[in-house]
Amino acid sequence: MVFSFFRGGDTAMDEVEDRIHQMLVDGRTVYDTAMEAVFGGGKSKKTKAAVKGADNEINVAQRDVRRSLLVHASVAPATDVAQILSYMSVIKDVERIGDYSKNLYDLARYGVNFETAEDRDELAKYRDRVGQLISDAAATFRARDTPGAEALVAKAGGFLDDYDRHVKAAYRSEDSPDVAVSRALYYRFLKRITAHVMNFLTALTLPLDKLDYYDEPNLDS
Amino acid sequence: MNDRSKSSAQPTLPAPIRAVAVIGLLYLFLGGVKLLESGIKGLGSDFTDTLFGNVSNPIVGLFVGSLATVLVQSSSVTTATIVGLVASGVVPVDSAVPMIMGANIGTTVTNTLVSLANLRNREDFKRAFAAATMHDFFNVMAVSVLLPVEIVTGVLARTAASIAGLVAGRSELGGSFNSPIKSAVGWLATRVRDSIEGLFSSTDALAVSLVVLGILLILATLTLITKNMRVLVADRIERTMNAALAKSGLTGMAVGVLVTVAVQSSSITTSILIPLVASGVLLVRNAYPITLGANMGTTITALLAALGAGAVDGLTIAFVHTLFNVAGILLIYSWPATRYLPVRMAEALAELATRHRTLALGYVFGIFVAIPAIGIIVL
Repeated sequence: MVFSFFRGGDTAMDEVEDRIHQMLVDGRTVYDTAMEAVFGGGKSKKTKAAVKGADNEINVAQRDVRRSLLVHASVAPATDVAQILSYMSVIKDVERIGDYSKNLYDLARYGVNFETAEDRDELAKYRDRVGQLISDAAATFRARDTPGAEALVAKAGGFLDDYDRHVKAAYRSEDSPDVAVSRALYYRFLKRITAHVMNFLTALTLPLDKLDYYDEPNLDS
Repeated sequence: MNDRSKSSAQPTLPAPIRAVAVIGLLYLFLGGVKLLESGIKGLGSDFTDTLFGNVSNPIVGLFVGSLATVLVQSSSVTTATIVGLVASGVVPVDSAVPMIMGANIGTTVTNTLVSLANLRNREDFKRAFAAATMHDFFNVMAVSVLLPVEIVTGVLARTAASIAGLVAGRSELGGSFNSPIKSAVGWLATRVRDSIEGLFSSTDALAVSLVVLGILLILATLTLITKNMRVLVADRIERTMNAALAKSGLTGMAVGVLVTVAVQSSSITTSILIPLVASGVLLVRNAYPITLGANMGTTITALLAALGAGAVDGLTIAFVHTLFNVAGILLIYSWPATRYLPVRMAEALAELATRHRTLALGYVFGIFVAIPAIGIIVL
């Protein structure tokens, strides 16, 4: 540990950003594992352990990042203030991606299997879309790509109405309750994951005071 | 990361230039000690006897060391100045020992002041104040035990003299020793003295100017060294602090030594700990060994100053500083019965100060300003 003092390499904030990137990668892992279960894999002790394990990694990382940010603020109080506050806020969104993915896994625990459903292709389309969104957000963050993040927020924003449309359709459908409720929850969880990814991306695109308000016009610009 | 954060404050000087600047500043710092020593020598024995006669009283010496450190907010400046005074032969090693101990007490004022920033939040303040004042209690306990022992036996000064003799390659006490650092620093001091000599009509005026210039140079260079080193090693400090958060004992102590040597300031190290403890991320007990490590790490400045001054007595008092801090840790931290006594006392005081917040302000003023000032006047 003491030898870490003599180690060169990345700056402390680089390490924090690597950790946040890894949280997103782990978020994608929880999401994919949950979706495998919902699309035919079903519940199993192994899948449950995988989902819980990856989610736990995210939770541990969140606390580590918070501590690291506090140490950074203590050691260099005059620098990176906005970035510290921004990351402190948006890592909550990354953590929520894991949480909602866990909720998706719960659908499999209740017996949902979309693999044999009539609307399987539609459900899978949204599964792939959101999975890709998480990965793209991770790549954009790693590349420090502000224009890329803006484009991704705009693209993801276009998905939100689709989810609402599906939730409304489930509410009005005459399908059996298990079919309607599973669709309503599925699209609701996907919407929440999408919204948290968008919130996270605002760390790259918006001033600190406007974090999370990706859907309001930026009057200053 | 984004456009906004890129505009946040960044170090403006490239690291290699900053590193070269630190080496230059270190040279000027040693030059400052040499100028101080040279100026003091030129003041004449009557004047210096009047000025420093009182510090032969160990309690006065203790208060002088403490108050001087509080006023300049840096034990490094005080100890480097003491090294200069001892190297010039004006203050004997025995009289300087209590001053060095006082500097140790005075340096804790900085993190105690930092802890007051948490007054608005009761729990945060309690933790922060305990973390700050455990340093006070430790140093006061160490002085309470070691100062009487030193007055009676002189064990610290004698041991330090033996070590200084070995380092300087001399068997007898006093005198000077040669080193490349001393020669380089001596060249600078001579050039400065020669260039300002013509400006003064009397040797006393020249001597006073050299003393003032020396103290200003010590103060300014140490401030700039600390500032630049903090930027240079900030990432390393962060990594080490991150790793040390959940650790205690010797590892924490090593972290405290390392960070303090790197930034040349125990106040920086201990002040970094305050917000971490206040927020609950770092436990008071885990901050304790880091604080003790900072106590040891800060002694490097006096040793550096002594190498520049090139007097065996200067080196002796610098080693006294190191030995005092090591002995304090061995006496208090080594024994399970006494190890956490400073922490417990600090927590009790913090509990009291949380309920009566004016007590915290009274404590800071009383311990660091009023008592030393009254002591110096009365004694």
